[in-house]
Amino acid sequence: MENKSIGKQVLVYGTLALLLIFALFPLYWMLNTSFKSQGEIYNMTPSFWPQVFSWSAYEKLLTEKGFLSNIKNSLYVSLIVSFLSILFSMLAAYAISKLQFKGRGFISRGILYAYLMPRAVLFIPLYMLVNAIGLSNSVYGLMLIYPTITIPYATWMLVSYFKSIPGEIEEAAMIDGCSRARTMWSVIFPLAAPGLAATFIFAFTLCWSEYLYALVIVTKTSDKTITLGLSDMIVGDVFAWGPLMGGSIIASIPVIIMYLFTSKYMVSGMTVGGVK
Amino acid sequence: MNTNQNNKLAYLLMSPVLIYLLAVMVLPFGWALYLSFTNKVVGADAVFIGLGNYLELLQDSAFWKATWNTVVFTGVAVLFKTVFGMIMALVLNEKIIFRNTFRVLLFLPWTIPTIVSVFTWQWIYSDVGGVLNFLLLKVHLIDQPLGWLARPDLAMFSVILVNVWRGIPFMGIAILAGLQTVSKEMYEAAMLDGAGAVKRFWHMTLPSVKEVTILAAVMTTIWTLNDFEIIWLLTRGGPANATQVLSTLSYTIGFLNMSLGKAIAIAIMTMPPLILLINYVTKRSLSSRD
Repeated sequence: MENKSIGKQVLVYGTLALLLIFALFPLYWMLNTSFKSQGEIYNMTPSFWPQVFSWSAYEKLLTEKGFLSNIKNSLYVSLIVSFLSILFSMLAAYAISKLQFKGRGFISRGILYAYLMPRAVLFIPLYMLVNAIGLSNSVYGLMLIYPTITIPYATWMLVSYFKSIPGEIEEAAMIDGCSRARTMWSVIFPLAAPGLAATFIFAFTLCWSEYLYALVIVTKTSDKTITLGLSDMIVGDVFAWGPLMGGSIIASIPVIIMYLFTSKYMVSGMTVGGVK
Repeated sequence: MNTNQNNKLAYLLMSPVLIYLLAVMVLPFGWALYLSFTNKVVGADAVFIGLGNYLELLQDSAFWKATWNTVVFTGVAVLFKTVFGMIMALVLNEKIIFRNTFRVLLFLPWTIPTIVSVFTWQWIYSDVGGVLNFLLLKVHLIDQPLGWLARPDLAMFSVILVNVWRGIPFMGIAILAGLQTVSKEMYEAAMLDGAGAVKRFWHMTLPSVKEVTILAAVMTTIWTLNDFEIIWLLTRGGPANATQVLSTLSYTIGFLNMSLGKAIAIAIMTMPPLILLINYVTKRSLSSRD
């Protein structure tokens, strides 16, 4: 029995170690590369720690290229889109989760459908739409279509969240003479604040990481987002790995920090509330 | 409050979202569906050609190659994500030290932007200064650097690996959530009965997380089936179409060859299996929450 349990421990921790190496090695490699000098990067024998710590990749990113304006564009689009998406999604989610009305099943099904509909199917129709109303080649075009990603997602998340708030709380408020709308605004929404914040953060990261729509909509340098800025660093077959890895670190930091704050909401968020 | 009032309030609250989704998702999609029956090219008027695009695609060997590649890419990637996700969940479900820290760390590949993971792997795969070749040479598994993305026989493996790397955490966390609802008493009873670890896994663990695993795997299939970024950025569908899938073919035909009608037709052809999968998820999710 004793032997068996030691054997099991070895198996469990051994597997864990392998999983961690596989998951983290690329992240470590990205960080490692970003602090190397250009010369060291192209050494035939890669070094597993920068021989000389160099900020040159970051300096290059933040001074000469349009990377700062890429970051600014991404922040601008992601913040506005997430904020407006949450604002409208919470109203819709309240109705779907708390009110009995005709067509409720159909609409909640439709929202889930919209959430699961892949971008690879929609990118051409959306490209044509943005073109037709003359918003192509600008961040406003992205602002118009990014909610097709964030609204279905946020609505679906918030429906699950609102449902977890017991109905008695609302009934009590309504018996005290609050109207339905007032109950929603001053009882349910404040109670749901953590869920609203988490949903906002996920919506933000969805916009921040988006590439395909940005690729087809924006070609003007001044309006490019961070994902386009990164892919533009590859010119032909020439890869500036230092700045590319540095830029990748910069693009990852906000989403990783946000994730650390909200990791406990992640599970229900990912699995569309179907898995509990 | 009577039903009529409820209906009005509900639709009032939902109207911004519904109007937006109708205008920006449903209508453009309908328009695109129409254009798939035309010879629309960028910058020219569309002429109705019936099923022309579809028939042309069905006779095009590049289309069939892309379809086959999509099936291989999706099938292999989902299989590996499910198996390794299961392993990750089983390990994290054990009593281990720093469990939460490890859970967060193992989850990181899923959180970072796809494009970032693509570039990082591209650098790891590189034949000039790439660390993967360096490590494999050092342990004598290979005797000369391999072109992970340049060789037609290796490129598919390489793009699948990146997709699997990103996707394991999702499966892992979903299955873990399922595992945590399995009662400890049941296990202890089975242990007392002398059931071995393999037997316990096969007859107790697996059946109890079957539903969660299938649901998460179907969602993963929907996403993998339409993965664009990983393949496009790593290989552009090459070399020699070895990694050309339907999403990259659609982009190539639409934006490099400017044939929008035909490009949409490709996307439309992926819809029937997609609808089946999405239907499965909606049915499951809606029934479990009501």
